Amino acid sequence: MVVGDVTTGTELLIIGAGPGGYVAAIRAGQLGIDTTLVEKDAYGGTCLNHGCIPSKALISATDVAHDAREAEAMGIHADPAVDLAGMVDWKDEVVDQLTGGVEQLCKANDVNLVEGRAEFADENTVRVAHSGDGQGSESIEFEHAIVATGSRPVEVPNFEFDGEHVISSRDALALDSVPDSLVVVGAGYIGMELATVFAKLGTDVTVVEMLDDILPPYEDDVSKVVRDRAEDLGIDFFFGEAASDWEESGDGITVRTENEDGDVSEFGAEKVLVAVGRAPVTDTLNLDAVGLETDEDGFLATDDRARTDVESIFAVGDVAGEPMLAHKGMKEGEVAAEIVADEPSALDYQSVPAAVFTDPEIGTVGMTEEEAEEAGFSPVVGKFPMASSGRALTLGDTDGFTRVVADDDAGFILGAQVVAPEASELVAEFGLAIEMGATLEDVAATIHTHPTLGETVMEAVENAQGKAIHTLNR
Amino acid sequence: MVREFELPDVGEGVAEGEIVGWLVEVGDAVEEDQPVAEVETDKAVVEVPSPVNGTVKEIHADAGELVPVGTVIITFAEAGDETGGQDPAETRTDTATETRSEVGAVESKDDGASDDGSGSASNGRVFAAPSARRLARELDVDIGTVDGSGPGGRVSDTDVRAAAESEDSEPVADEPTADDPAPKSAVERVGSDDGTSSEPAVTTGSANRERTLAAPATRRLAEESGVDIDSIPTEEERDGEAFVTPAAVEAFAESQRAAQDADRAALAESGGEERVPYRGVRRTIGEQMARSKATAPHVTHHDEVDVTELVETRSELKAEAEERGIGLSYMPFVMKACVAALRAFPSMNAMLDEEAEEIVEKHYYNIGVATATDAGLMVPVVRNADDRNLLELASEMNELVGKARERSISREEMQGGTFTITNVGAIGGEYATPIINVPEVAILALGAIKEKPRVVDGEIVPRHVMTLSLSIDHRVIDGAVAAQFTNRVMKYLENPQLLLLE
Repeated sequence: MVVGDVTTGTELLIIGAGPGGYVAAIRAGQLGIDTTLVEKDAYGGTCLNHGCIPSKALISATDVAHDAREAEAMGIHADPAVDLAGMVDWKDEVVDQLTGGVEQLCKANDVNLVEGRAEFADENTVRVAHSGDGQGSESIEFEHAIVATGSRPVEVPNFEFDGEHVISSRDALALDSVPDSLVVVGAGYIGMELATVFAKLGTDVTVVEMLDDILPPYEDDVSKVVRDRAEDLGIDFFFGEAASDWEESGDGITVRTENEDGDVSEFGAEKVLVAVGRAPVTDTLNLDAVGLETDEDGFLATDDRARTDVESIFAVGDVAGEPMLAHKGMKEGEVAAEIVADEPSALDYQSVPAAVFTDPEIGTVGMTEEEAEEAGFSPVVGKFPMASSGRALTLGDTDGFTRVVADDDAGFILGAQVVAPEASELVAEFGLAIEMGATLEDVAATIHTHPTLGETVMEAVENAQGKAIHTLNR
Repeated sequence: MVREFELPDVGEGVAEGEIVGWLVEVGDAVEEDQPVAEVETDKAVVEVPSPVNGTVKEIHADAGELVPVGTVIITFAEAGDETGGQDPAETRTDTATETRSEVGAVESKDDGASDDGSGSASNGRVFAAPSARRLARELDVDIGTVDGSGPGGRVSDTDVRAAAESEDSEPVADEPTADDPAPKSAVERVGSDDGTSSEPAVTTGSANRERTLAAPATRRLAEESGVDIDSIPTEEERDGEAFVTPAAVEAFAESQRAAQDADRAALAESGGEERVPYRGVRRTIGEQMARSKATAPHVTHHDEVDVTELVETRSELKAEAEERGIGLSYMPFVMKACVAALRAFPSMNAMLDEEAEEIVEKHYYNIGVATATDAGLMVPVVRNADDRNLLELASEMNELVGKARERSISREEMQGGTFTITNVGAIGGEYATPIINVPEVAILALGAIKEKPRVVDGEIVPRHVMTLSLSIDHRVIDGAVAAQFTNRVMKYLENPQLLLLE
C-alpha cells in the first residue's frame, strides 16, 4: 500500500463510465446496490465524447449544408457557408449536455463517482490513481467489479497519432478547420463515415484500403450503394493498398502505400486519418493481480451473465468482445448489474443491430441470407427498392433498399439489411420482430404509416411472401 | 385425404367427455354419420358419428379416458384415398421435429446465451419473446427444452409456465432465482463458482438426508409428486452435497406410485377395496348435490298419507291403461296432485334469482322425475305436466325414464324442471331428506306404500300408507307453506277422484 492511500469499500465497483459502465452503475443504483464508478476521463466514454455522438452530430450538420447545396432539383438554390469551428462548438454543446446528463443520472441513483485510473490490486481491491501530480491515489475494496474500460483506436505502424498530420477519429471530430485534402486509411465504418463528412465539407478525400472493398462485413450490394454515393461525392478509392509510411512534404504530407505485389503508391494530402479499427483497453488494468487473462486481441472472455473467469468480476462493452457497439455494452451493463443484484438476468438477445452513418445509412440486424443458410434455415428473402418508395422520392433520396431474411418454413424473421435514408431507425423494427419471434405474416399484417420509409419494411416482408403491392414480386 | 376428428362440444357448456367405448376399430370402414364412439358427458351418453365415408386410421383415446372437447380422438382416411395418406398429425409432428432439430443444430452467432455450454437445445435458436425468455429464467426453465405452441413453434409465456410445472424443466443451478427466496437459499450458487455458499456440508448419500440441494423447479416437482426431496436417492453431488435432479424426482415418484399400485392391487385381490374413477355422471351428480346443499338451506317436512283409495283407483285404471299400451304407476297421480298443489302455492314452483334478488314464480309446470339408473341418478323432466291427463303423463314419463335408464336421454330432456319428485320408496324405506334439484326450491320424496294399521271409525284397520318427505329451500319457503303444500298433496292422494277436477 502506498503511504497516504485511503481505503474505502463498495459493493460494486465499475471501471469506466462509458455506455457499458454508466448503464451498469445506474441500474445497480436502481437495484439498491452500493455502487462506485471510476472514470479517468469523461463521463459517457468514447461513445459520448469521441465516437457515436460527436460523429453523428457532425454528420447531421454537414448533411444540412450538403443537402442545401444539392437541393436544386427541389427548387432550392443555396450556397451555405460552413464554419467548422462553429460546428464543432455546437457538437461540443451536444456532448456536454449528454455527459452532464449521465453524471446527473449517476448521482441521482446514488452512484459514488470517483475520478482516476483504476487498476486491480487483488481480487477485491482496486487502486485508483487520481490524475495530476500530487493528487494521490486511493484503494477501493469491492465485492463485485465490472470492467468497462472500452476501446481505443488502433495505430498502424509508422503512423503514430500526432494530432497534427496523423490524426485519429477522435482528433478528426475536434478539428477547427476543414482540411483541403485528406487521406483516410481504412474503409471500415469509421473511415467511411468520416470520409463522407469531410467530402461533404469540401475536402478532397482519398480512401486507401488494404482489402478490395469498403465496409468488409457487409454484403456487396449493400456496400455498393454506399460506395457509389461516396464516389459521387468525389471520394477516390484505392483498394488492395496497405499504408506503409508517410512523410512531410511542403505544406502537407505524402502517404505511401504498398500493394500485394510490392508496388508503392504515393498520395499527397494535408492530413492522414487512420481509422483501421479499435482495440480493447485491458492493458491498463493490471489483470494479473486478479488472475485474469485476455485473448490475443485483448478481449476478456465472458459468459452469458457478463461474468469473467473470476466470479466476482464482470466485463461489459468493448472489452468483452465484438461487436464493439455502445448498445451491446449497455445491455451487458444492465445484465451485469442485475446479476450482482441476484436478479434472473442473462444476455440472451437474438440479434444485435448495427448502423453505419454513411450516405445513405446502413442498418443491419440478425442474419444475412448466407448466414441463415449456413445456420440450417431455408431462407426466403424479400426486398424493396427505395426507388419505389413514395417517401424516399419525396426526400429526393432513392438509393438503396430494405431487405428481409426469413425462414421459409415457419416464417420467422431472421435478419434484415437496410441501406437507405434513416436505415439506422428502420432496422429497429426488424430487431423487435426478431426478438419477438415475429413471422413475415405478423409484420405484413401490421399497418404502416403512409407515406413513410417504414412502409418499405412492410413491402419487403410482403415481397418475401410474393405479395408486395408497390414492387414486382420476385 | 386424412380427416382428424376432434371431440365435439356434445352439449351446452360441456368441456370434457369420457370415452365410454369405441364402436369401431382401426381398419374398419365407416360411413358418414355412422356412430363410432360413445361419449359420456354430464348426464348423457351420446354417440359420436363419423363425419366422412372412409376407414378408421387411428384411434387416439382409450375407452374410459377423459378427453377435453377439441382433442383429436380419431383419424379417418376418407374414401377415395387409396394410399390412406399420411396422418396430418404425424406430418405436422415430423415437420416440427425436423425444423426443431435443424434449428437445434444452429449455432446462433449473436446469442450470448448459447455460449455458456449449458447443453441441451439451448445451443439452438429458440423463437420466443424477451418476456418469455425472462420468465424462463425466473422459473429456472431452459427455454431450449420448451415446446412452443405458437406459430412455427414460438414459445409463449404459457408454454414456459407449463414446462416449469412439468417434469421436462431442467434445473439451471447456476442461476439464482430472485422471486423464490425460500428455496433459493438452498439452491443458489450450487454449481456456481462464486464461493458464497457457506452453509455447512451435510452427510449425503442416504435416502434420509437432512439437507438436499435442488433447483426450485425440482422442489416444486417433488411437492407436486408428493415425495419428500430428502428421501430421493441420488448419486449426484454439488459442492459435496446431495443434489437431486427432476429426473431423479420423477424416477422416485414413479417407483412410489408403482409400490402404491402394487399395494392397492394386492388389497383389491384380497377383497379389501376397489377404486372406481369419480367421473362422468357420478361426478356431475356429486357436484350438483354439493352445490345444492351448499346454497339452499334445506328443511324437510315429513308426513304420512293414507292412499288406500288411490291404490284401488290405480288398480282399476291400470288395466284400462294397459289396454291402451301404457303402464300406469302411482307417479302420474302424484304428479297431478303436485301440480294442483303447486298452483295453489306458487312459491313452491319457483326459483331464486340471486343476482337480480328476485323470486321467480313460474306459471308452467315441468315436473322432474328422479330416476335411478346404472350410472346414477338422472332427472328426466315432463314438460307442461298441467296440460296433460294421467295417461299422457304416464306415457311421456315412461318414455323419458326409459331413455334415462338406457342413457340415451339428451341433456335438454333433463333441463328446465320447476319441481322434482323422487320415489325413494320404490326400493324400500320410510323417510328421507331429498336434496333439492337447484335452482328449483322444493323436492318431494315418496316413501314405499305399505299396509299399516290405521284407526278408521274407531277401529284399527289395515290401510295403504305412503310417507312423504318434502325438502324446501328455506330461503324462499317457510315451514308453514311446506306443511300446507303437503296437506294439499295429501288431500288429492287420499281422494284421487278430486284429480278429476284438475
